[in-house]
Amino acid sequence: MAVVITKMKATRAFTFRFGLRAKLLLLSSFLFVIPWFGYQYVWEMEKHLRFGQEQTLVGTARALATALHERENLFNNQASFLPNVEQGKDLYGYQLTEAIQLDGLHKDWPSFSSRAHFYHHQQQLFATKPLSLNFKASVGKYDKYLYLFFQVADNQVIFRGNNSRSITSNDHLALSFTDENNQLNRFIISNKKPGWISAFSISENIDDLPTPAPHIQGHWLITPQGYNIELRVPLKTLGDKIAFAFYDVDEADGTAVSAIGSADPSKLESLGTILVPSPEIERIVKGMRYTNSSIWVVDQHHRVLASAGSLKSASGVWQAKEKQPSNDEKKSFWFQFKQQILLPLYYQILTKPPTDFIDEIYDARHLKGEHIVSALKGKAKSQWRLTTDKQALVLSAAYPIFINDNVKGAVIVEETTNGIRTLRNRALEKLFSIILAIMTLGALTFILFATRISSRIRNLSNQAELAIDKQGRITAKMTPSKSNDEIGDLSRSFTTAVNRLSEYNYYLESMSARLSHELRTPIAVVKTSLENLALQEQRASTNNADNDSNTYIERAQTGINTLNLILTNMSEATRLEQMLSATEKVEFDLYTVVSGCVAGYQQVYSCYSFSLKTKLTELKFNGSPEHIVQLLDKVINNAVEFSQDKAITIELKQQNNQIELLVSNNGILLPTQLNESLFDSMVSIRAKSKQEQPHLGLGLYIARLICQFHQGEISALNHQNPDGVTVIISLPINNN
Amino acid sequence: MTKRIAIVEDEAAIRENYADVLRSQGYQVQTYANRETATQAFNLRLPNLVILDIGLNEEYDGGFVLCQQLRAKSASLPIIFLTARDNDFDTVSGLRIGADDYLTKDISLPHLTARISALFRRQEAFNQPVSDEHITQTGALTIDSQRMTITWHNQPIDLTITEFWLVHALAKHPGHVKNRNQLMTDSKIFVDDSTITSHIKRIRKKFAKIDNDFDCIETVYGMGYRWLSAIDNGSSDH
Repeated sequence: MAVVITKMKATRAFTFRFGLRAKLLLLSSFLFVIPWFGYQYVWEMEKHLRFGQEQTLVGTARALATALHERENLFNNQASFLPNVEQGKDLYGYQLTEAIQLDGLHKDWPSFSSRAHFYHHQQQLFATKPLSLNFKASVGKYDKYLYLFFQVADNQVIFRGNNSRSITSNDHLALSFTDENNQLNRFIISNKKPGWISAFSISENIDDLPTPAPHIQGHWLITPQGYNIELRVPLKTLGDKIAFAFYDVDEADGTAVSAIGSADPSKLESLGTILVPSPEIERIVKGMRYTNSSIWVVDQHHRVLASAGSLKSASGVWQAKEKQPSNDEKKSFWFQFKQQILLPLYYQILTKPPTDFIDEIYDARHLKGEHIVSALKGKAKSQWRLTTDKQALVLSAAYPIFINDNVKGAVIVEETTNGIRTLRNRALEKLFSIILAIMTLGALTFILFATRISSRIRNLSNQAELAIDKQGRITAKMTPSKSNDEIGDLSRSFTTAVNRLSEYNYYLESMSARLSHELRTPIAVVKTSLENLALQEQRASTNNADNDSNTYIERAQTGINTLNLILTNMSEATRLEQMLSATEKVEFDLYTVVSGCVAGYQQVYSCYSFSLKTKLTELKFNGSPEHIVQLLDKVINNAVEFSQDKAITIELKQQNNQIELLVSNNGILLPTQLNESLFDSMVSIRAKSKQEQPHLGLGLYIARLICQFHQGEISALNHQNPDGVTVIISLPINNN
Repeated sequence: MTKRIAIVEDEAAIRENYADVLRSQGYQVQTYANRETATQAFNLRLPNLVILDIGLNEEYDGGFVLCQQLRAKSASLPIIFLTARDNDFDTVSGLRIGADDYLTKDISLPHLTARISALFRRQEAFNQPVSDEHITQTGALTIDSQRMTITWHNQPIDLTITEFWLVHALAKHPGHVKNRNQLMTDSKIFVDDSTITSHIKRIRKKFAKIDNDFDCIETVYGMGYRWLSAIDNGSSDH
């Protein structure tokens, strides 16, 4: 027979709990507004600082421009009077930072390919044959020399013949420039072989013999495409006009078939200009280099006359010196904590201004920018821009330089905002640290407070829950809180309520006993009266055989006996409780008791079949055997009444320290709503019509009392297939 | 000579009912409604038997007080508590202060009169010489059904009438199991199972006072009790 026992305990559905602590935390999250405001404030500060920086920068530019106003001599030897400059003709000598080795190689020329100008047929001076010549040229200035580099592509390189007197019947370079007195000096570079160049000075007069010009030095290098010429000219011999041209000769001792050059080198008027960074202006600008700015002075053709400072070190006046912490400070816990934890955290949000940003490389020949254009029109202007790699923000200001009411140039000052950003970062670091401290403290306080409150409330709710058990009885007293707040009030009113409930419960529990006690006297009155009456009737009936009134007396007696039985049953539980409190536990063999009882029940309920299933032969148990028997009586009595197939199974087993006694009968199932309260006082599920003798629903209540006395539990479960009920009594072996 | 019975009971109806039935049995009955009138009357003359209620009007333990006073006056006066209180505590207290029996009010009148006559018979039997025909001996147990006394190893055991009838019923057929209903019939009480259990417990205690190893009353779980004779027991020294 398969007995399926279904657990009927309802599983409590899990619901999300939004506790007090969570609520308080949510409320305290408004604290996060404070750092946001701080952050906004710092941003505002940065804005003002930037504005200030802009003003300062314009001021710097103006100051420098003021120093350069009306200083004609700084500009008059330049090509500044030209309305415009012509690329290739008007040359710009880049400031070189390294010495140049005259070897015909351009590898020591910085960014040669971008700075060199390409000369081809547009710059041709004459051609009798199709052009077979072009070249690139770059001009630079280093120390006291002007350096020129030419990369010539020529299909046929013709050197001067060893015995040739002429210096022009071969491939040659014509170089002309004015001196300080604006006198034209003409030179021809005409080599017999690659290597050191041979420079000759020539004059207007064709009859004059060319004279060697050793101050022009250089190197002639043959290349696969043609040849390279690298040469230098001392600056002191150089005016501000220059022209060079290459003459191509395609056969030995031939005549030039074509020529390409910056300008016609033979006439003074046709010469182009040359601009080299001005040492005088540079000297003035140098005085400004302590401003943490990058400074440029340009002429009206956007060509750089002087520059000072580098943008990488130009962080502006806000560039604060980082105070190096002392060794003691470095060892301090706070410093370590800040370095190891806080700063990495902050710089998840903040960006450190990069010291190594990449900016576009200025073409000193032609500085670009709206602000420069505006300044050269006579209007000071500043502008913000990002560096090419978008890492740093650059502020540049341009201020015009006036000479005789004409704009002759402009001062451009540039700075990065790194200084301000560093300042802002430091302010934010401080702000974050303070806010973090405040919030940590605040959150801790909040959590502590919330924990305290919620633990008090939980404690209270636990107490309240413990005070009343599942059956609604008061099991423990509550201790009122002494604190003088709302929770204390709640605790006190709870205690009062529980105490009142406990009194009421006690009244209810003792009611049956009191009722039976109170009823006993009037019943005794009725009973004794009836008995007296019966005795009199008996005596009278011996005289005449009138049995009518006798019948009524008997019926009344039956009724009163039943009433008496009810009263006895009612007080049974109370009496049992009193008895149990005085009962001492003894060790006895539970198996003997159970098997004896089962044999006894077989006799009492002879038409039922009882079967005891157990593997045990002895089971020592510490308890009260009489009460265990009483417990069994009640449970068996219950099982017998509900049994349909007149078969009752009793199972006794031991599991670890737990004895389990199962009494099963097949019959109607328990209603689910009665599961918990079945073992309560005055609870009965018997159908009203079936009652042959009075039932008060005290039997299983008594069973529970006895189980509780032995620290055990009793429960009833429905089993299916066949339907029925199993009462499970579990008793711990160690129940002292 | 008619026996005089005093009933101290605050409930007039019960008091008169008991009085009537006892009078019809040929006893002379005096009734008292409270302790004061009863004490006054008992100071003048003691009755042959007293039936007491515990609670007398406002006095919760009036019956106990009266019982103590009577016991002080006479050691042999039979005193019966007839009360509505059915708890163990009151029973034990009542018997301890010297009552001969403790009955609850649900006892039927014939049972009550049987007890009363048994008490008188026991009293009278004390005045008569011991006759062997009423004495039965089972092991160490000697029962005098005339005097309603029991001795164990020749030492008398002071039992109430109910207890005597219980022991008598058990020891009459040693080895036979008597169930609770049989015991109730024999001892002329009608109580619930737990009252029988407490009676048996009290009897065991009384025997154990004399003989620590007493274990002749065996509980047969699920059926009842049985008397184990000393021979079965194997502990006889006779």
